[in-house]
Amino acid sequence: MDKEKLEERRGFLKQFGATLGAAGLGAAGVGSAHAQAKPKGNIPDRPVKVGHITFLTGPAELLGGPGQRGHILAQEEINAQGGLLGKRKIETIFADEAAGTDANVKELRRMKLSENIGLFTGVISSGNTPALGPVAEELKLLTLFNDGCTDFLFDKAVPNPKYTFRVTNIQSADGITAAIGAATHWPKARRVASIQPDYSYGRNVFEHFVLALGKLLPGTEVVSESWPKLFSTDFTPHITKILAAKPDVLVVGLWGGDYVAFYKQALRYGLFDKMKVATTLAFGGSPQAIGKDHPDGVLAGVHANYHFLYPSAERWPINKSFVERYHKRWKEYPSFEADGAYVALYLYKQAVEKANQLLGGWPEDEAIIAMLEGAGINSPAGYLYIRADNHQGYKDAVTGLSKRLPGYDFPVWDPASIVSIPIRSITAPPNWPKPGQGHNESTAAADWIKKTWPAARSA
Amino acid sequence: MEIVALQILNSLFYAAVLFLIAAGLSLIFGVMGIVNMAHGMFYALGAYVAAWSVGVAGSALAPAALFIFLPLAAVAVGVIGLAIESTLIRPFYRRPEEYQLLVTFGLLLVLEDVIRLVWGGTPLTASALVDSLGLVQIGGLPYPVYNILMIGVGVIAAAGIWAFVYRTKFGVLLRATAQDRRMAAALGIDVGRIYVLAFGLGCFMAGLAGAIVVPTQAAVLGMGVEVLVIAFVVVVIGGLGSLEGALVGALIVSALRTITIQFWEEIELAALYLIAAIVLLIRPTGLFGRKT
Repeated sequence: MDKEKLEERRGFLKQFGATLGAAGLGAAGVGSAHAQAKPKGNIPDRPVKVGHITFLTGPAELLGGPGQRGHILAQEEINAQGGLLGKRKIETIFADEAAGTDANVKELRRMKLSENIGLFTGVISSGNTPALGPVAEELKLLTLFNDGCTDFLFDKAVPNPKYTFRVTNIQSADGITAAIGAATHWPKARRVASIQPDYSYGRNVFEHFVLALGKLLPGTEVVSESWPKLFSTDFTPHITKILAAKPDVLVVGLWGGDYVAFYKQALRYGLFDKMKVATTLAFGGSPQAIGKDHPDGVLAGVHANYHFLYPSAERWPINKSFVERYHKRWKEYPSFEADGAYVALYLYKQAVEKANQLLGGWPEDEAIIAMLEGAGINSPAGYLYIRADNHQGYKDAVTGLSKRLPGYDFPVWDPASIVSIPIRSITAPPNWPKPGQGHNESTAAADWIKKTWPAARSA
Repeated sequence: MEIVALQILNSLFYAAVLFLIAAGLSLIFGVMGIVNMAHGMFYALGAYVAAWSVGVAGSALAPAALFIFLPLAAVAVGVIGLAIESTLIRPFYRRPEEYQLLVTFGLLLVLEDVIRLVWGGTPLTASALVDSLGLVQIGGLPYPVYNILMIGVGVIAAAGIWAFVYRTKFGVLLRATAQDRRMAAALGIDVGRIYVLAFGLGCFMAGLAGAIVVPTQAAVLGMGVEVLVIAFVVVVIGGLGSLEGALVGALIVSALRTITIQFWEEIELAALYLIAAIVLLIRPTGLFGRKT
């Protein structure tokens, strides 16, 4: 990227407070290891049972597997220090999310009522969190969802959460991050094509990407929409259709095995030479899943959450250490699901320790919840903050352009292309009306963008 | 109008793959009377074995030589089919149909997990084969030569299967057993052997479909289940037990899919099941099905 263009890009991003390039880092605190305070009071030494439901089979295993591995890594590390508060080890009961929503609900009940779990984590599908959230509230079960990022969870399904939390960025941030990434790197794009899996995630990505891009770049129009079924394997008719529409940029919400099939097929048709491609989840699965034939210069999204190269090792030792330990344990690099699952347990540990310092003994759920609301933690992805009003986790959103670098068997990000966006610039503020409270947009974020973002002036 | 030509080619390629799967399913049902719920898993096995062997041998052999692994994978799956038939399916011939359905469904679940245990969750690919053949320009838009080759393979397979069933002695035995098992046995045909070979052949065809398709996509978990649903729609439309039905059904399903994707994608699935429902109403045994 030449210097002029670089400055243009940086200027463009200033309106969001975002940064370009790996040198950027969120403003808040650098990791500091608090001196481990001694636990107070009597702590039982019964283990803490944790339930974790994630995709262990099927095409979504590409996301669920790393999530499980991140969870196990955190569990092993905490147990190696004696467990929570030095006395209570963590034992996890895993179940397969692929069993279906009804089965997952039953399993959650069983875990709480029969196995008496003290904490519930996991869940990837946005179809499952809105179903499991209300059940967790009913069972009074402390829950830290790792994903299942749909806005619907805290907009409609559990609008006043008490026991339910979610540690990964909200779904609407995904499409918006991709739009900002696309507008930053390809400011001349006007004709937009889309290929999305035909379910809630795909619809959410399409809506927010088009909405945000429309505000960022003047005169954009959607020239082609494709909605393949989730877990399709043949995208050739869609690719042919997209090529005929001659777009400038293609937004892709496909993930996992779908994305692998898509990019390989698209390569054959020369699609990547004819248009720019912005994805929300190209690098969302296990990084090794993408082959070395993947083209450079694709906006490779990570669900706006985490890529193991950012923050860079020199600037954020927590990430460096996490990636090293994860790689040593699992012989692979962590994905955003791995980071989310890992952080969830540490967030819980931190809340338990704080509550213990204040009250002594093993804290009640109410105390842990009070410590989780408004909690901040230095995670491998950067600083994570749990907002007290909606129990949703917020951390800076990231995306970058794919590039094949020496030292890795799979494509990673071009460090100079990484766009990091402060999360408050792309999410609706607290107390912004939810759908049904004065507006009928699909998410609070969509309403917020329509009402507050200025339209792009023609250049 | 290049896009029309390309979409027709896309459609034919998908139809070739569907035909192989559906013909295998129909063959097994026609001869043995068994609805093989695990049929999609043999497709998946074909894909995984082909992709894995190409991956292992990839650096050692020239791309052109790698093509040998496609039929080899299909043969391997056929052999696995033979083994499974003699151990798992044969004990259930005399039992009611529900048992056979349960056994093959259980086999589906077991094979799904076996694949996950052996090959893990990461998609396996074999793109070297597609790359080696390059692209051809059709009206200014590129199209992979590999796809055209595989359409040819599909045509040859259809012709070959037809010739095998209608022009060889073994084909006569196959058709006789399919029409009337008891009479065939009374005439001295070793029905058990026919069954085994029919099952193996059906699995070979499913495995071949998987092997053909994997260089253009990837071998992913769950692919067997996904394809099974479409394969059933194809045989419902074409008629269970009929090879012509499998061909016509595959062409119809594939064309319908491509048309809806081009013009109104959201009704893709609904349109498919609608056609199947209409066929069932007008001709309950399918377009070419036999009335049993």
